[in-house]
Amino acid sequence: MRTQKKIKIGTILIYVVLIMWAITTIFPFLWVFNNSFKPSSEVIRSSFSLPQEFTWMNYSNAFSKQNILMAYRNSLLISGTVTIGVMLFASMMAFGLTRYRFKGKGIVQMMISASLMFPVFSTIIPVFRMMSEWGLLNKNVAVILPQIAGNLSFATIVMIGFLASIPLEMEEAAYMEGANVFQVFAKIIVPLCKASLSTVAIFSFLWSYNDLFVQKIMIRDRTKYPISSLLEEISSKYGTDFGLMAAAVTLIVVPVLIVYIFLQKNIIKGLTAGAVKG
Amino acid sequence: MLYKKKWPLLIFVLPGILFMLIFLYIPFIENIKNSFYDMTSIVSMPGLEPKYIGIDNYKTLFTDPKVKIAILNSLKMMVLTVVFEVGLGFILAVLVSNIKRGAQIFRTVYFFPVVISATALGLLFKLFYNYNGGMLNQLLASFGKEPVNWLKPELAFIMVCIPTLWSYVGFYFVIMLTGLSDISDDIYEAADIDGCSKFKQVFYITLPMMKTVICTCITLALTGALKVFDLPWVMVPKGAPQGLTHFLGTYMYQSTFGVNNFDYGSTIAIMIVVLGVVVSKVVNLMIKERD
Amino acid sequence: MKKKLLSALLATAMTATLLAGCGSKPAETTAPDAASTEAATEAGEDTAAAPTGEAVTLKTVSMFGGTDPNASVYEEIIAKFQEENPNVTVEDSSAVADNECKASVVADFSVGNEPDVLQFFTDAQATNLVATDKLVSIEEIRAEYPDYAKDTLETALAGVTNTDGVQRAVPTTGFSEVLYCNKDLFDQYGLELPTDWDSLTTAVTTFKENGIIPIAVSLNNIPHYWIEACILYSAGLDSYQSLPETAPAEWVAGLETFKTLRDMGAFPEDTDTVDNDYVGELFKSKQAAMQLDGTWYAGGIEDKENTVAVAFPGVANQKAEAGTITSGFSSGFYITRKAWDDPAKRDAAVKFVMAQTSKEAVSAYWAKGGFVNKCATEVSTTETLTPLAQSIADVNAAAGNNFAGPIDSRMDAEAFTNIVNSICDISTGSASAEDVLNDALALSASRVAAE
Repeated sequence: MRTQKKIKIGTILIYVVLIMWAITTIFPFLWVFNNSFKPSSEVIRSSFSLPQEFTWMNYSNAFSKQNILMAYRNSLLISGTVTIGVMLFASMMAFGLTRYRFKGKGIVQMMISASLMFPVFSTIIPVFRMMSEWGLLNKNVAVILPQIAGNLSFATIVMIGFLASIPLEMEEAAYMEGANVFQVFAKIIVPLCKASLSTVAIFSFLWSYNDLFVQKIMIRDRTKYPISSLLEEISSKYGTDFGLMAAAVTLIVVPVLIVYIFLQKNIIKGLTAGAVKG
Repeated sequence: MLYKKKWPLLIFVLPGILFMLIFLYIPFIENIKNSFYDMTSIVSMPGLEPKYIGIDNYKTLFTDPKVKIAILNSLKMMVLTVVFEVGLGFILAVLVSNIKRGAQIFRTVYFFPVVISATALGLLFKLFYNYNGGMLNQLLASFGKEPVNWLKPELAFIMVCIPTLWSYVGFYFVIMLTGLSDISDDIYEAADIDGCSKFKQVFYITLPMMKTVICTCITLALTGALKVFDLPWVMVPKGAPQGLTHFLGTYMYQSTFGVNNFDYGSTIAIMIVVLGVVVSKVVNLMIKERD
Repeated sequence: MKKKLLSALLATAMTATLLAGCGSKPAETTAPDAASTEAATEAGEDTAAAPTGEAVTLKTVSMFGGTDPNASVYEEIIAKFQEENPNVTVEDSSAVADNECKASVVADFSVGNEPDVLQFFTDAQATNLVATDKLVSIEEIRAEYPDYAKDTLETALAGVTNTDGVQRAVPTTGFSEVLYCNKDLFDQYGLELPTDWDSLTTAVTTFKENGIIPIAVSLNNIPHYWIEACILYSAGLDSYQSLPETAPAEWVAGLETFKTLRDMGAFPEDTDTVDNDYVGELFKSKQAAMQLDGTWYAGGIEDKENTVAVAFPGVANQKAEAGTITSGFSSGFYITRKAWDDPAKRDAAVKFVMAQTSKEAVSAYWAKGGFVNKCATEVSTTETLTPLAQSIADVNAAAGNNFAGPIDSRMDAEAFTNIVNSICDISTGSASAEDVLNDALALSASRVAAE
């Protein structure tokens, strides 16, 4: 009896701690969502209460300032392509590195892990120069290429971790039966990797969608801005308009949260499969 | 090895290597070159060719008080990420793994800040910290307290660190949680029977079993700390107040795109990479020695 | 496992739907209602109604963006221009003239991404652009279009001569830097408007005691006007206009005023972290008593009855005569070589600049700015000036010939930015004003020597 009671108190304590942390992660978004429906003066006066005069003004304001749908489209195009590119190249590279022995393998592996150290700002100036010389500035591809390169090392490490851990029997059997190595890769490896591929996909997508830095530098024409650049600009130019800022934050956040809630199970599965065992 | 023919290897590995060479390694080498020239614009303009200035930039680097602040802040940030992001992530993961109901909800919710862009979080916290009518000061006002300048020099660094650290706890939490689920329940049951308390179990079972996972997390956290940029930049541009919240990333950006001192920016960028390599080498050595 | 749609597929699907959803129509300038046609221009009529030309897309960049009060006039003129020239599509990217915008204009030029028409600085900040030789001179344009910039006063054109002595830009309005005061706050606390250092410090201490922010300024963002005023008043007009190689003691003393004022509590509590728009809000909402800014700022002030402008009051031990101001023309419209060499665009670009700089356009900019800016053409109005506009006119008149363009226009941009970025440190005493000035002047001198 005594122990049972003790456990109960312990459990309650655990829940209290967990719920407190959960509040810190939920509350800010509720706060900003709530305030995006208030005029600025009310945000400054009473940001905790529900809107007294409910208004869509901040949103119509944000939409009238710029072509937000276009910006979403640009962002999704960029992040979608980056995601696919990273998944493809990372899994191929990981396959090559785990299934072949070759001269220089150590160097390639070192290159991959060393490039984790490169913050994007350490390479951006020359990359900007290259893009301008190739005439790619203001084009989505100028963001896509460096972002693929930037996400590739993390993704490859995750994939190597997973590929190294799966048994070779299935591949062996298929290979003996006459399938060539590309068929083995496409028909056996890729389906096996689903979980860790989705981890790679989710992180590449998030990092690309959320990365303001490369967008800001490569896309200089504001009619072609992706969403983060656009909203950052709105809020830096109209920074005193709290209501508009709250709306801007909501507009960046909501699509990501929706995607996340739909895909969140894969994140956890994927990380179990890949990153940790690596 | 299984596959006899070697040529497909090229197709598998080459695209990735090319990407890394063209967009990471070659630019990095070009940066090294740039750091020896006085550049007035990103690309050489007709009539304004960059001038060779030798190691001037490196001399400046070692005497620049702002660089000193930025390095110190980045180092502090590394320690803080390990303690708070990895540490809190671990504690929360252990707690969640000990409950039955609602674990799924906590998992989902804790990851929220990770998926949100640092830009959005920066804007959000700007609204929280604002002196005139920001959320925190409204809260103080409702208790009849005087407003506080949350970003005054004495507080600024902490106030910038809080959201930066908070936002990534969920990432390590999820990694830890998956690591924990790999530990067999039998071990805990055996410990229970032996009368080992839950608290002791964490120290004698969980921690040792989680060693590799924790090491991965620490490495990720350290390299991540060096890359901190967006959140502080959006919240307190230019390392405000008085450059006290500069990190290496923000100071490099400020030098490059705020002052247009491209060559000095390149010099700082090189230092960031060197620092990153040194730190991770040291950590690797420390982990190996423990083994 | 099967249930879970591979997220890649989802991403692709999303991308695809969005692609299908929106066509790739380029975003055009949103034209505000063109009905308010004070900005009416005759440029279209002048150069004969010739909308027969082929479709042309004109890329324009100006500093009339965001919260700049000129933005709406600029956009109205564009709308009117497009109406009169249906074959021309104007793709405008304008931004507020902050450092980032300046840097991106320069970067765009250096990589061949320059617009067709550019409204930009004409002083030292344009040196990089001028060096690219991508801007067409007025002389060359006038050889073909003798009427180009016909309304613009010659003194104004001369005022925007580039640093290499060539005239390329056509200005619209100029500026003076004045101290805006919320007169109602001064009256409430029985204060006189400041006329010298002593009355300024009295006002600062009184406001501080009463919980009013004495001076609205963001030291982290735009302390520029204070830098100019403090050095101008401390050093006097002649020294101010020179660009010495090492810092004179008066310049140093001028910058040290920041520390004196900060120690008195003259600046907002959060001056180190907020931006300029924000402190402007503090001033306009009467939470702050004074703000030093250019005359363009007057347009955004709503209370034109109780806000008045005075010349900068002064600093301790000043050399400058009372009433001296920083003033001049510093920007104008350029046509780039890219547009000039393109037969289809040449005409459109010329028409566009003429539409933006005609007497009517300048009058519209002048009116929008609250009749306070210097104008590059003759302007006239039948309206009665507001107290605010009148006070600025008085400041300009009182200054007479005691004015000069800002240091900003003479010094190398990177060097001046270094000073700007050190102001917070100077104001707290953690950086020495002398070192900062010496470094900046040395850098500027070395850059000039190199050219």
